[in-house]
Amino acid sequence: MTSYALAGHRLDPHDGVAGMAEPVSRRSTMRIVRSAGIGLAAVVALSGGVATAQEPVTVTYLTHWVPDWVAQLEEAATAFEAQNPDVDVEIRAVPFGDLLTTLKTQAASPGGPTAAGIYNLWLPELARDGIAAPAPEEFLADITANWPASAVDGASVDDVNYGYPNEINTYALNYNKRLFEEAGIDAPPATWDELIDAAQKLTKKDGDLITQQGFGLINSWPAGVVHPFYSMVASDGGDIVDGTTPTMDSGATAEVMALYERLVGELGVTAPEMGQADANTRGPFMDNFANGSTAMMIMANWWQGSLKDAMGDSYADVATAPIPVGPGGDASRPVSYEWLTMVNGQATPEQQDAAWRFLQFINSPESGATASAMGDILMSNGIIPSRTSDIDAYSTVLTGDPFLKTYVDSLATAVPFPMILGGQELSEMIQKKLEAIEFGEMSAADAAAQAQAEATQILSQYYE
Amino acid sequence: MRGRGAIGTDRSLAPYLFIAPAALLVLATVLLPILMSGWISLHQWSMLTPITSMEWVGLDNYAAIFRDASFLRALTNTLVFAAALVFIALPLSLLLAVLIHQGRIRGSGAVLAVLFATYVIPTVAVALLWGYLLSPRGGPVNEILDAVGLPIQPWLGSPRTALWSLVLLTTWQYLGYFTTILIAGLTQVPREYYEAAEIDGAGLLTRLVRITIPLLRRPLTFAIAICVINGLGVFDAVNVLTKGGPSDSTNVVTLHAVRTAFDFGSAGRAAAMTVVLLGAVAAAVGTVLWMGRDLPDA
Repeated sequence: MTSYALAGHRLDPHDGVAGMAEPVSRRSTMRIVRSAGIGLAAVVALSGGVATAQEPVTVTYLTHWVPDWVAQLEEAATAFEAQNPDVDVEIRAVPFGDLLTTLKTQAASPGGPTAAGIYNLWLPELARDGIAAPAPEEFLADITANWPASAVDGASVDDVNYGYPNEINTYALNYNKRLFEEAGIDAPPATWDELIDAAQKLTKKDGDLITQQGFGLINSWPAGVVHPFYSMVASDGGDIVDGTTPTMDSGATAEVMALYERLVGELGVTAPEMGQADANTRGPFMDNFANGSTAMMIMANWWQGSLKDAMGDSYADVATAPIPVGPGGDASRPVSYEWLTMVNGQATPEQQDAAWRFLQFINSPESGATASAMGDILMSNGIIPSRTSDIDAYSTVLTGDPFLKTYVDSLATAVPFPMILGGQELSEMIQKKLEAIEFGEMSAADAAAQAQAEATQILSQYYE
Repeated sequence: MRGRGAIGTDRSLAPYLFIAPAALLVLATVLLPILMSGWISLHQWSMLTPITSMEWVGLDNYAAIFRDASFLRALTNTLVFAAALVFIALPLSLLLAVLIHQGRIRGSGAVLAVLFATYVIPTVAVALLWGYLLSPRGGPVNEILDAVGLPIQPWLGSPRTALWSLVLLTTWQYLGYFTTILIAGLTQVPREYYEAAEIDGAGLLTRLVRITIPLLRRPLTFAIAICVINGLGVFDAVNVLTKGGPSDSTNVVTLHAVRTAFDFGSAGRAAAMTVVLLGAVAAAVGTVLWMGRDLPDA
């Protein structure tokens, strides 16, 4: 049922390493799909792409999850099929980096995915173009009754819900307790001044070369760059947009850019070359934190499983704390984002109905051991589920695990990443400006001004 | 006679009829997508809606991409990458080809086999291998540099060195392929030319410049054209290792077009980028072929 190979790697689902386990043939296929380019995509669109009904109805569930997660999902699918013999569920796994591309290129084809787990930043465009189907009344009632309003909002565009919210992720300061003790620092920094002071004490150099950086910044990965930045901006009382109007060149946004410039340049406590992420959203930035070469950095809760795998016994050195509050902020306000499962609006009505029933099942308490099947899978890997009953079922773990507790506590003040058309392009543009600051290619002031101009142009494509 | 004339006419059409199936296949699989890309580049379209819903925007997409700092950086990087391949990989290949062909390298057959093996390894595997080799901390290349007292480098981790790191691994990958092509060309050069030149007192460099390179005109032209095409179309290594970063330093046109089409939902702008890239490839390859044809035969 699952179309990947080399099971047995235990890796975080967000790192896209599923792709590493793919047979070469699939990689080649993906390259061909990409290489064929826009012209061939147009041919696909010309074909009409209306799925045909089949007996039994096949529901293809597209995910970026890694093999052992998929294995758990397949168990739930088998249980669903036993109760619904008219439905055949297939789980299809692709790397994170190929998830949106696969969805977009295959959504209109008869064999395309019927349901897909997606990052909610992608939802506005998928909803606009009819790829994400609005939740039918029956399932909408289930969603609104069993999920917090904030989670439902995160799976909605213009107050229309488009799927079952699955997980919520937020950010916190991750730090190495052993390095803090060695530097004589008693507590994690709560303000920017404390952050700078701690970073200076934690930085070690060999001549001009930083061998241990006090504060690490990620590069070469849009979310890894922009989410920590946005968390700092929000914790300084600002935002990157006001509705759909960019606010990049003033206030907290410009202040955080200036802080980044100081950390790398004047203070010399951040080594950008130590922050590189690879295509699987792992790489040097994670290695350097895991091996103690980075003392502090801002990351999401989902990497807990990856950290445990990478650090072994040294994982005991890891601790988390709220995002340091800037001079303009009143509280730590990390960015939050959701993953949801949507149903393909281009699939046949029979497939859509079967897909919604499947989603309802795997998100219901009856499908899992401790909570819902979805909740069980997520929690077994340190990810916070969003269904109310799942959170209740795992409340002891969520509040008892010191790593996760910081994240769970911060949800009360978390700020959702703006869900607007052009959000992905905006995010990547900001990433590039921040990296230009980090690598000394642009001053913070110039980066802020250029970011404002480019953000205005990006959003003007979609909004008046 | 009338019948013969008819048969004669039919025979004159025969070659066209024979190549028609292949020509139609090429038309459908090559020319049609190119023409469609050109047509789409004049529209606004997300690819998720029927193609009939495209909105005509004329040359707006072209104006937009030339205002896009990332695209301009990607175009520059792509041109630099292709030029670097031509000026680094090909001279090295020529040097290796001459040394192997003249038997100046022991076990030249084995060397050639090893060199060519790098070409048949999938680019993704090559990229992963070099990602490990060039790892800033603990990577074998930096370990060696450190051991011999040279400063370690950030390689893929810095805008200063990332693009050149990609040139390095791509050169390594293509070295054997171009060397093989040039050795094949060298086997066609009569040894008498070299013997006569030696009698006349020509040195190694003179023989290379006055005999080898002119007589390798056709394989060299082919190798340069392939080098330019592969350089301008680079994608896999960038996609696997850097995703265009850090700070856009390795962003290339193909990657930027894919992102624009699939991540940003703007097929029109992406198509405009591919049309510009196609123009660059056509201009570069056309120039190479023209220069190759213009060289006098030795």
